[in-house]
Amino acid sequence: MTQAQAWKQFICRACGLIYDEKLGDPDSGIAPGTRFSEIPEDWVCPLCGVVKSDFEPYDVPEIAPAIARTPSALKRGVGVVIVGAGQAGWAAAEAVRAQDPKIPITIVTACVGDRYLKPELSIALRRRSTRESLVRETGSSSAERLGVRLMTETFAVGLSPALHQLRTTRGNLSYTALILAQGAQPALPAALPAHLCWRINDLESWVRLKQHLIQSPKRVVLIGAGMVGCELADDFITAGHQVTLLDVQNAPLATVLPEQASTRLRMALERAGVTFVGGVQVTSVVQNADGLKVVTTQCGLSFECDEIVAATGLVTDTRLPAGANLMFERGIVVDPATLQTSAKDVYALGDCVSINGMPCRFIEPISKQAHAIASALNGHADAPYRHDPPVIRLKTHSLPVVMHGAPVAKGQWRVVSETEQQLTMTQHADGLDCCTLVLG
Amino acid sequence: MNPTDVAPAVLATDPQTLLASVKQLSSGVLAQAAYKIDHEGFYPADIMRSLGQAGAFGVHLDRNGQQVGLAINVMREIAQQCGSTGFLTWCHDVCGLYMEQSGNPALMGALLDEHASANTLGGTALSNPMKTFAGIEKMLLRAKRVAGGYRVSGALPWVSHIGRGQYCGAIAGVYLDDGSASHEIMFLLRCTDDVVLRQCPEFSGMEGTSTWGIRLDDYFVSEDALIADPAKPFIARVRAAFVLLQTGWALGVTQGSIESMLEVEPLLGHVNKFLNDRPDELQAELDDLSARIQTLARTPYDGSTDYVISVLDARAQSAELVLRASQSALLHQGARGYMMNTAPQRRIREAHFVAIVTPAIKHLRWEMARLSKPVMPA
Repeated sequence: MTQAQAWKQFICRACGLIYDEKLGDPDSGIAPGTRFSEIPEDWVCPLCGVVKSDFEPYDVPEIAPAIARTPSALKRGVGVVIVGAGQAGWAAAEAVRAQDPKIPITIVTACVGDRYLKPELSIALRRRSTRESLVRETGSSSAERLGVRLMTETFAVGLSPALHQLRTTRGNLSYTALILAQGAQPALPAALPAHLCWRINDLESWVRLKQHLIQSPKRVVLIGAGMVGCELADDFITAGHQVTLLDVQNAPLATVLPEQASTRLRMALERAGVTFVGGVQVTSVVQNADGLKVVTTQCGLSFECDEIVAATGLVTDTRLPAGANLMFERGIVVDPATLQTSAKDVYALGDCVSINGMPCRFIEPISKQAHAIASALNGHADAPYRHDPPVIRLKTHSLPVVMHGAPVAKGQWRVVSETEQQLTMTQHADGLDCCTLVLG
Repeated sequence: MNPTDVAPAVLATDPQTLLASVKQLSSGVLAQAAYKIDHEGFYPADIMRSLGQAGAFGVHLDRNGQQVGLAINVMREIAQQCGSTGFLTWCHDVCGLYMEQSGNPALMGALLDEHASANTLGGTALSNPMKTFAGIEKMLLRAKRVAGGYRVSGALPWVSHIGRGQYCGAIAGVYLDDGSASHEIMFLLRCTDDVVLRQCPEFSGMEGTSTWGIRLDDYFVSEDALIADPAKPFIARVRAAFVLLQTGWALGVTQGSIESMLEVEPLLGHVNKFLNDRPDELQAELDDLSARIQTLARTPYDGSTDYVISVLDARAQSAELVLRASQSALLHQGARGYMMNTAPQRRIREAHFVAIVTPAIKHLRWEMARLSKPVMPA
């Protein structure tokens, strides 16, 4: 076919319909291959009805379309979105707001967002605390004070860092920066069914357990004699309940404390009335016909009780970070200075992060981390976070424990002073004092 | 009969050949029929058979290597040209999945061969049971045990891809003689003369999906027709695959919408550039989502809560994306896309069906919230 014979196209100036000579307009009786000039004058645009003279020759643009077929950069939302309204989430909101009075902040939280101090939960029974007395500020008033949009009872279900999109059970959010403060969840071994074992990791679960413990003295089995287990055992016994504390180790906090100290802690708990059973592995938990729970151990011991509380450690939820391909190593990996995750514009702080491969689940670093994130968001590189081992304080009434520094596995402990009331020890490693411990 | 003894109904073709055949059928006969299917109630049974012969409805089955990701891509190709047929593809795919996963030899041999090649057609009636298991609705079909099987009564408002001589997977609650609820059964409901098929009211679109109201009155379910007894563990096992497969349909309607935007770009790009949700942005989101779906499709029977939430999230996102894409396609095309018989106009109806069919966006969020709550003692 020569150039002169090439099929031409004509465009309707009113609606943009294109008449292609090759295709014709069969619906209007114009056969394929009909030249535009041969179309009867009474023909009208099949789309909008204007007449033939309203058409003009249409030359297909030679230039490439302005829009690429390949995916391009994505549009960005505006504002900071925070996942979690525990101490880390609110600290982040406070810090961001302090540095920027105008930036939109949204908090997404599975609970109602009320603010309380989580460490108080493990000493709350003997203080006769209530939900009301524990709440320092309601979520709604805090949100109002800080100018935060608070999305309560909302779960973050998906994250696409490339889209700057967080998906929740109440719709999707776009962000300029996302701050993950989702915390850590109780790790429940397979032998402990969730519907029979309490885990005290937030206010709501404490309030629900308390309803079961408030009527009369109860028999409680606590599984796990770490920090939370020891504190709860101490608190429950002080509040008048019968407490059996089980652990795979032979003494409470045995993986952290030197033997001399953990033995002293064990004796103090026992003096207070706690029955400590060490060196046992729970293999089953069932509810019997009377509604009582029965805990059985590998060595054949059996404990009947009214309530079971598992304090078997914490883990960071992997689903959200894994779906977003965030680097993860026992927690969400963050830059130790800026708290940025492996994804651009996504930060994390508090119980959900790991720094140099180690999770850090203490209160003290949280506000510093929040400040570092807020500074990074504002482009202030001069306020990096510096990670120091936090001071650990065990709030066991029967024998308080305070630890400064971070103990190491190979370190040698020595006694500094020892009286009936108090034991002071230090740990040396590589010729340096790395840790000081005071019991009593 | 051991399932591995069953010869595949469809000879294994390589994915490229399969996708090319599906594309040829979809962009040809199917694209031409799309308006008739959507608006005039034309049920594309013959097109479904052609697609079945090409191997479009068997690749997700265990017997063909459980290629769920490929099945999603096939469905996407079909739905790009016609959302209704994309939906029929999903109905057909999950019905085959029920038959194979049933472990019932009576459903896994010749019947499944015929189904996978679309010589016979059948769908799914699990909208109500799925919502019942999620705590949203009450079970509509009731069964009682009789010699050799069950008798089932009740009515379902609308079931797609059925008709006389066709069939669907259905679930009924079993009640004991004292009236107490016992458990649930899942069975292959054959639309014989014993089954009343009632004409549905006119829908705004998707009219050619052969959707009927079903009424059963002491309908006999023989043991040969049982897919699962009890049904709950079976549903727990197949639920994620059931939901994940639907995404192929949503992705296809989204891709079709993007193509409609690109189609008018030479002509209208100079003004369309002022619109939100431009084709390149939507394509980026679609690609991101598709990649995640393909990863999920590698383990369709992972029953963990984390996996199920990820599948529900992908399904919800696909529904949200198709709504935005179909609307944006209409805005990009302007009046030409507002014509009743144009694809952008049709896709508005298709996209809304993606968003409201079980599991609808609101159900997906309800279920994700339910699954996200930690279990605690009562």
